[in-house]
Amino acid sequence: MLKPFFNRIALIAGSTVILGLISGCSAFRGPLYPDIIYNNRQPLISVTYEYGEIELILPIKYDAAVPDNILFKVFTQGDTLHPVISILQEAPKEFLAYLPQGVLDIQNSTNLIKIFPQDKNFDPVSVRFKGIHFGRILLPPKTIRMGQLIVSGNTFLNKNDSTLANVDISLQSYDNIIHETQSNGSGYFQLAIPGEYRYAKHLRIVAGENLIFKPYTKKLDFSQVRKLKMDIGLGPSDEMKEPLYMTNKNNVHFREGPDIGSETLFLLEEGEIISVTRVTPGEYHGFIEVDLDDEKSVQLEGWIERVDLRLVNLHNVYKRTAEYYFIKE
Amino acid sequence: MNLMKYYYKRIAASLLLTASLIGQVKLAVNTIPTRVDVHLDGINLGSSPIRNERVTPGVHKFEIKKKGYAPLTYDLLVNPAQAVQLDFFLNPVYKVRFKTEEKGLIFELNGEHRWDVQLVRLELEAGNHFLRVFKIGEIIDEQTIRVDEPKKFNYYLKKPLSEE
Repeated sequence: MLKPFFNRIALIAGSTVILGLISGCSAFRGPLYPDIIYNNRQPLISVTYEYGEIELILPIKYDAAVPDNILFKVFTQGDTLHPVISILQEAPKEFLAYLPQGVLDIQNSTNLIKIFPQDKNFDPVSVRFKGIHFGRILLPPKTIRMGQLIVSGNTFLNKNDSTLANVDISLQSYDNIIHETQSNGSGYFQLAIPGEYRYAKHLRIVAGENLIFKPYTKKLDFSQVRKLKMDIGLGPSDEMKEPLYMTNKNNVHFREGPDIGSETLFLLEEGEIISVTRVTPGEYHGFIEVDLDDEKSVQLEGWIERVDLRLVNLHNVYKRTAEYYFIKE
Repeated sequence: MNLMKYYYKRIAASLLLTASLIGQVKLAVNTIPTRVDVHLDGINLGSSPIRNERVTPGVHKFEIKKKGYAPLTYDLLVNPAQAVQLDFFLNPVYKVRFKTEEKGLIFELNGEHRWDVQLVRLELEAGNHFLRVFKIGEIIDEQTIRVDEPKKFNYYLKKPLSEE
């Protein structure tokens, strides 16, 4: 009967003793400050980056000739003044460069490889490309060619130095036309042909095939320079006095005298201009102009049968146009 | 037909995943101690060490908390790189007993924590703490105390703290 009562008493007494011990120890150890006290010390942190590499590969092809050395410069982010890398090497089949991550523009094609062949026969070329974060960029092959050969100038009428527009002009090797064009409304023309013709021995310019005159022909020599400036005068010079006639066929005899059997000085081609000074029932006496090598010309006199000539109207010198006509006697 | 759709979906998902990974930086996080929850911009990345996570270049906030250590918050400008590895060394909090026989003193730690009892138990972050002692409203002593292990400090007026 009394056992539960004593048990409860014992429990209460035990609890009281334990609580007493705890509070006693706590009092002995002191109260706990409620907050953790920090000193805001800078944390020790190590940050390590691993940057990737960009492997840039540009295959190089050569057309006809190979320069000894090539200087490659890589520009990035639209900066064309300060290359991130410059490499001079023997003409390679492949340009290879390793760039650090982050140097390339990955949004737009503002990155640039400039290729400078170390040879005056070649012109610098550029390759634009878009970057990547890191990894491999394989660009399309770039062909290195010898620099173009350029001839430019103006076409004009020898008689009065007036501009001659729309004159057919061609560059020919032997009789093969390499390139042809027409002078523009101001008489200006420019022709460019591949550099491989630099040392061609039979390169010539032919101008005025669409004119009534004999075409102008001159041999070109690019061995010393790659650009030639050449103003081309067409037709008779001012020294040739009117009336002017021109041969109407090839192989026209230009003879020393009007007599039958007189010596033939030249065989004239169609379109040759004759300044006529005397007329006989069957022949004209006059002068032709012969160009010399030093761009001077001399006049030679002789006789030509009247049927081989027609009068020239210098107000229209073009063939095959509605306005074109010969004035016949 | 359903099989085709399934494959198309898988290819599309792969492409999306690839696109989302382009431009990201591989992330690894180590902590001392290990097995600490790491939060990146408020998102729990899991327990350290963290491997093969991805983060975009730019500013990010790392938060690390573990009982017994000072919480750590770190803002990092992640550069465009292939990978970034962070090692965090958490600062431990030590239990310290501070005792004095002097009476009528008020103690202040780091300019904000005050007590006036002769015996107190403190939890202090490892490192230096600045102690000021006041008596009747006037500063009578200033000291820097260094905590690098659990210890007991005995304070005697205007003498360096003794350690037990």
